[in-house]
Amino acid sequence: MRESFTLYELQRIIGCAVEQFLPRPVWVSAEISELKVNASGHCYMELVEREQNSTSGSAAKAQARAVIWKNRFPHLAAKFESATGRRLAAAMKVLVEVSVTHHPLYGLSLQITDIDPTYTIGEAERQKQITIARLKEEGVWDMNRTVDIPLIVQRVAVVSSATAAGYRDFMQEIASSPYQITTTLFEAAMQGESSEQSITAALQAIALREEEFDAVAIIRGGGSVSDLECFNAYLTAACVAQFPLPVLSGIGHDKDTSVVDMVAAVHLKTPTAVAAWICDRAAAFDGQLEYYAVLMQQCCTKATQTAELRLTQQLELLNRAVKTALTRQQDKLNAYAMIVENFAPSRLLKLGFAVARGESGAVIRKVADCSVGSKITIEVTDGHLVTEVIARDGKEE
Amino acid sequence: MAKKSNISYSEAMAEIETIIRQLQSENCDIESLAERVARASTLIELCRTKLRKAESDVYKLFEE
Repeated sequence: MRESFTLYELQRIIGCAVEQFLPRPVWVSAEISELKVNASGHCYMELVEREQNSTSGSAAKAQARAVIWKNRFPHLAAKFESATGRRLAAAMKVLVEVSVTHHPLYGLSLQITDIDPTYTIGEAERQKQITIARLKEEGVWDMNRTVDIPLIVQRVAVVSSATAAGYRDFMQEIASSPYQITTTLFEAAMQGESSEQSITAALQAIALREEEFDAVAIIRGGGSVSDLECFNAYLTAACVAQFPLPVLSGIGHDKDTSVVDMVAAVHLKTPTAVAAWICDRAAAFDGQLEYYAVLMQQCCTKATQTAELRLTQQLELLNRAVKTALTRQQDKLNAYAMIVENFAPSRLLKLGFAVARGESGAVIRKVADCSVGSKITIEVTDGHLVTEVIARDGKEE
Repeated sequence: MAKKSNISYSEAMAEIETIIRQLQSENCDIESLAERVARASTLIELCRTKLRKAESDVYKLFEE
């Protein structure tokens, strides 16, 4: 029979070797691929190291189980959260202090004794800077910020979780506006592992209906504890940067600005602020219309007043001209009347002139027109006198 | 002198002026004097009426 170990002996040997080579805790950098806290309060996770230059989801080249015992977990979780603003979660890159043990029954195990949050912050920041550099290099960095924003944003496509408090705040603010603003929700998971795919899928669905909207609002409430990873991810940021409609971001992270915030046409702090911005824009446009209406009215009033004044002046001139013309005619008529009156026979008779007619009835103008003894009828104011010529005295021809 | 029923203002004025010229000329005949004076007076009255009507028409328009 060959010399052999029992399995237990083998495991003990490995355990001793591990203890011998790694007697003290060591610091290890890795990515969390799975994490769960069990009922008794221990936190179990899978740590992974992936191939260089590959993103999450690609092949692992090393993997190990790790645990944070319940006596340490609350303390480490709180420390990590207060420093990074994020909860320990899958897909996170961490630097942890581990003591390595090898149990005959459970095999190799890394027991996490400490965690360095600054590594995670630095790693996230590094990823963010890589994303920014790539977007700039590809020439899409400024694209969404140069898209024309309509004077009035009335049809809004909203990317949000339907149940989020931020979405409720957003809708409440929109509803309080006196302007008719319609919103269409494109549901997406706004945090967690699937959020990047979920948000880009929502954006793609909106792009297919581009004509129906004036702008896109990407909103999420949540404050400082929620993670920004999906908003710093290349795919999400590139999609927002190249989006054909202006994007309004209200991601609600009060500590940090995400890459999506940087490339969005309009960056606001919260969903409520996005809604307020939309309402204010409508109000500003309305105000401008009002101003133009007043201006137009003023112009019209001024023009009418000027025209009226000129008309009044013209009318006055016309009035005067007519009066002058009428007076002139009146004067002329009066003068004619006076002349004609002077020739009226009745007036001549009143003045003492008389008309003498011979027997034939012809008017006597000269002495020679009648003979002595002939009868003459003299017309005076109140009748006729019949006389006889007794003598003639005149220059006879 | 033919009497026109709807003689115009300017025609009437022209006729008045003609009559006046005739009255002022030396060969104005006493026989036709009365007739001319009467015609001129009629025409003057006609013109006055027309003038008054024109005046009231104009003021009515101004008031409008």
